[in-house]
Amino acid sequence: MALFGRRNVLLVLLAVALVLPAVANSYQLYIGNLVLIYTLLAIGMNLLLGFAGQLAFANAAMFGIGAYGTGLLQVHFGLPFAIAFPAGALIAAAVGLAISFPALRLSGLYLALSTLAFAQFTQWIFLHWEGVTFGAGGFKTPQISFDPLPVSKPVGLYYLSLLVAVALYIFARNLVASRVGRAFVAVRDGEVAAQSLGVDLLRTKALAFGISGFYAGVAGGLYSQALNYVSPEGYDLFQIVLHKAMIVVGGMGSVAGSLLGAGIIIIVLELLRAVKGAQEIVFGGILLVFVLFLRGGLISVIQRYVKGWDEPLHAAPPRRDEPPPLAVPATPVAERAAP
Amino acid sequence: MSRLSIRALCVASVGLACLSPALAQAPGVSATSIKIGTFGALTGPGYLYGKLPMNGVEVVFDEINKAGGIHGRKLELVREDDRCDPASAIGATQKLISQDKVFAIVGGGCSNPTLAARETIEKAGTPFVVFASVHDGITTPPAKNIFSVATTSTIESQAQVQFALSEGAKKIAVVSMRDAWGRARYTPLMETLKAKGVKIVADEEMTPDSNDATAQVLRLKQAGADAILMVLYPKPAAIFARDANKLAFRPLLIGQTGIADPAAFEDQVGVPGATAKFRTISMVRYTPEDPAVEKWRKAIETKFPGDRLSVYNQFGIGAAQVLAEAIRRAGPDLTQEKVVAALAGLKDFNVDVYPGPISCSETDHRCHKSPNWIMKEPGGPVKVLGATRVE
Amino acid sequence: MMLSYILLSGVTTGALYALVALGIVIVNKATGVINFAQGELFMFSGFLAWALHVQFGIGYPLTLVLAIAGGFLLGVMTDRIAFQPLKNVDVVSLVLATVGIAFILRGVARVIWGGKGDYLTFPPITSPEPIMIGEIMIIPQQLAVLAGAVLIMALFWLFFRYTRAGKMMQATADNAKAATLVGIRTDRIYALAFGTGTAVAAAAAVLAAPLTLLYPDMGFSFFIKGFAAAVLGGLTSLPGAILGGLLVGIAEALAGGYIASSLMEVSGFVVIMLVLVIMPSGLLGARRLRRV
Repeated sequence: MALFGRRNVLLVLLAVALVLPAVANSYQLYIGNLVLIYTLLAIGMNLLLGFAGQLAFANAAMFGIGAYGTGLLQVHFGLPFAIAFPAGALIAAAVGLAISFPALRLSGLYLALSTLAFAQFTQWIFLHWEGVTFGAGGFKTPQISFDPLPVSKPVGLYYLSLLVAVALYIFARNLVASRVGRAFVAVRDGEVAAQSLGVDLLRTKALAFGISGFYAGVAGGLYSQALNYVSPEGYDLFQIVLHKAMIVVGGMGSVAGSLLGAGIIIIVLELLRAVKGAQEIVFGGILLVFVLFLRGGLISVIQRYVKGWDEPLHAAPPRRDEPPPLAVPATPVAERAAP
Repeated sequence: MSRLSIRALCVASVGLACLSPALAQAPGVSATSIKIGTFGALTGPGYLYGKLPMNGVEVVFDEINKAGGIHGRKLELVREDDRCDPASAIGATQKLISQDKVFAIVGGGCSNPTLAARETIEKAGTPFVVFASVHDGITTPPAKNIFSVATTSTIESQAQVQFALSEGAKKIAVVSMRDAWGRARYTPLMETLKAKGVKIVADEEMTPDSNDATAQVLRLKQAGADAILMVLYPKPAAIFARDANKLAFRPLLIGQTGIADPAAFEDQVGVPGATAKFRTISMVRYTPEDPAVEKWRKAIETKFPGDRLSVYNQFGIGAAQVLAEAIRRAGPDLTQEKVVAALAGLKDFNVDVYPGPISCSETDHRCHKSPNWIMKEPGGPVKVLGATRVE
Repeated sequence: MMLSYILLSGVTTGALYALVALGIVIVNKATGVINFAQGELFMFSGFLAWALHVQFGIGYPLTLVLAIAGGFLLGVMTDRIAFQPLKNVDVVSLVLATVGIAFILRGVARVIWGGKGDYLTFPPITSPEPIMIGEIMIIPQQLAVLAGAVLIMALFWLFFRYTRAGKMMQATADNAKAATLVGIRTDRIYALAFGTGTAVAAAAAVLAAPLTLLYPDMGFSFFIKGFAAAVLGGLTSLPGAILGGLLVGIAEALAGGYIASSLMEVSGFVVIMLVLVIMPSGLLGARRLRRV
């Protein structure tokens, strides 16, 4: 294995992540924690969009449901975080499963719009179901402590995020290499072809939405504690842009790319603090530059130039000689227009 | 945060700056400068309550610096964006405190982000003057080092209800936005109404981007409301006033600091006479057209060409003057504790832009309690009706 | 009485959505993509018109012409920057590129016009006083918006039906490869589509601005509503865009008038979710055969 092989690089990153709390100030630790949380979101988004090819906009809603679920179970029922956290993630996964049913009938931009409408609907619930969600004012989550472990809350939470992120990263790696992962890719590259190969469309799409929802829900639970506060504006459409940007920058159809994308976008957003007042302009420009000049994401560049980066890419090869892909991603136009 | 733990932090973070003895107690202070942080939305819709007040802060600092600074130290402003997002506000304040090592903070635009950041600032002990966020949770219960010179939502709600009652309203109705901004005011408003035993005849809702209010107006008209408390931004409020006029519904329209410029509001409604019964609160003493703020208008329009002085700028001007005064009173041997004590000790301090004096105390950190009632006769000048004193 | 007011307000609000939807449909008709910057292009053209009319005192007709020309240029730029290089990649990249443009436009508008006050007013072309039509009071500018939407729809219907360029656009949308084979310069057709789509947005902004006021963040909510209207109408149908816009507007007004005003904002989305699940290709969209 080459020196800069994927495994070595990831191990070095893990080592850096492990010692970070010892050298970072509280701001840097907070940003580190955000990177871990967004890595989970990006992996979840990538499984759904990069692997299973479902152009859904509901990820921010799942993220919110995870955060609200975790927080509200603690506030209303006095459950400890240790129970509320997995329960919140499971609620998000269940909602993800539920929205996979309309996805069976819809594709492309129609799926995008219906899930966008769902995301807006979720926002409306967060705002208006005041007896439960506390409305637009949001609510403070109970403080958790990591006793008897000898760590402060931010450090403990950081290590918890790290633990969860590593575990779910490995899970995603194994998933995409499994029969299920191959079924995702088959559905993305052609639903009819996938069905003819014996892939159960309903089951596969439901799994993709459910798993993606679970990742977002876990991220939401961690996020609610990182902020100690839950309110609707943390889960709005800007989040959808962030998640999508992460996987496009990192690389669609690559688990390692999700990690890379999340890290880069969060750090770029923080570095953009230096351009006072022009963030949105520069952020928009960076999005454009990445999309225009780094197609396939950073991971494809790394794969091209770094030996030993042996992750099998699941991204569809770019089709340069064909007319524009219309509403349905990864579906050649000629086929779509044919009777 | 106690001095001891700041030292501990210095040791832990091996910050070289900490080793210099003069700075041991006061981060961000050198012999010639004081670093002041600010956070709020520089981008996104919340910029009205972030970027614009910051511009106000900046011109005050410029004026102070031109006159030699405070005890020979120039004020240096560090801006951070929170995009009106709680996570980003925590990031911004963490950065201001642990990376930029600012001495004090003047800022806080959108309410929810400021509320989320409260814990970070409270723990650090950095003196913090809120310039625009009105949520009660930011100052109640009080944190030792956090003071607000914005009229908090409870104060404004009480003023709105008192005003409606004093104008003889019998059937009061509410039309509100239920986003974070609206909700921060709506809840205390409902509590105030309950406490005064007022039963509202209708409770309607609009969104910040509403383009039509026919449905709301018809419902309020059916309920026979004679005074309407508007918890709205200028845009939905203008749409509401326009459609109420269209449907010949002319109750007393009672605004709040979100719609603080009756002249601009008349333009926004765009229908002659539709704002005749509109009254609103100004957190600041003058409307931007008032000659009495000439000095500040010139400062803003010179420093930010193309801008015109707005009430949002004035939020920042007032807050910056209050913080500067506290720093001045803390004396040349500056510490954060002294500034916090000076803020808590401000009594009847008059600021250029506020209608009433600023008074803080150990137990009440809501320092601005003089909402000012203003109106504009259609086609005429803006008139000040007087301040409501709320306790 | 109440019902007629409610329906009328639904129609006048819906006409605003329809104006935005028309631009979305025109771009989609030729290119098969959704321009996520459409709302921001609408906003930016509105500010351009404001600068011309209010700041520089240029007359209304000339302002309209210049705004449309400016919109056309902005649209062509969007095409050159975001669409041409990405049309063969994937939809997500394209969506993100247009989102990137949306961020830039919003930021630039905030830098240029954000310090001039919270909501800028644009003088209406008609009298601001409401007028009576039968028993009903209506604001003349709302009629202008409605008339504008119908006029734009009619113009483009004629354009697609009777002009060479219009037919080339449709041919390109149906099958770009075949269009290239018969000698159509498809890249020019795409530029034309983005240009006209944004020119429509500019005309829409000039008509709508007196009613909606101008602010840097207005684009997004119009985009969502316009997108919804376009999808309801089937994404490629011009009359569908108008119908979709009016339906979204009426659904909002009915929910607000008869149930609760808190439901106004969400009712449009509930309608969309239901329609899409029941009728996935919209009301007037061409039924697509399942590809095999």
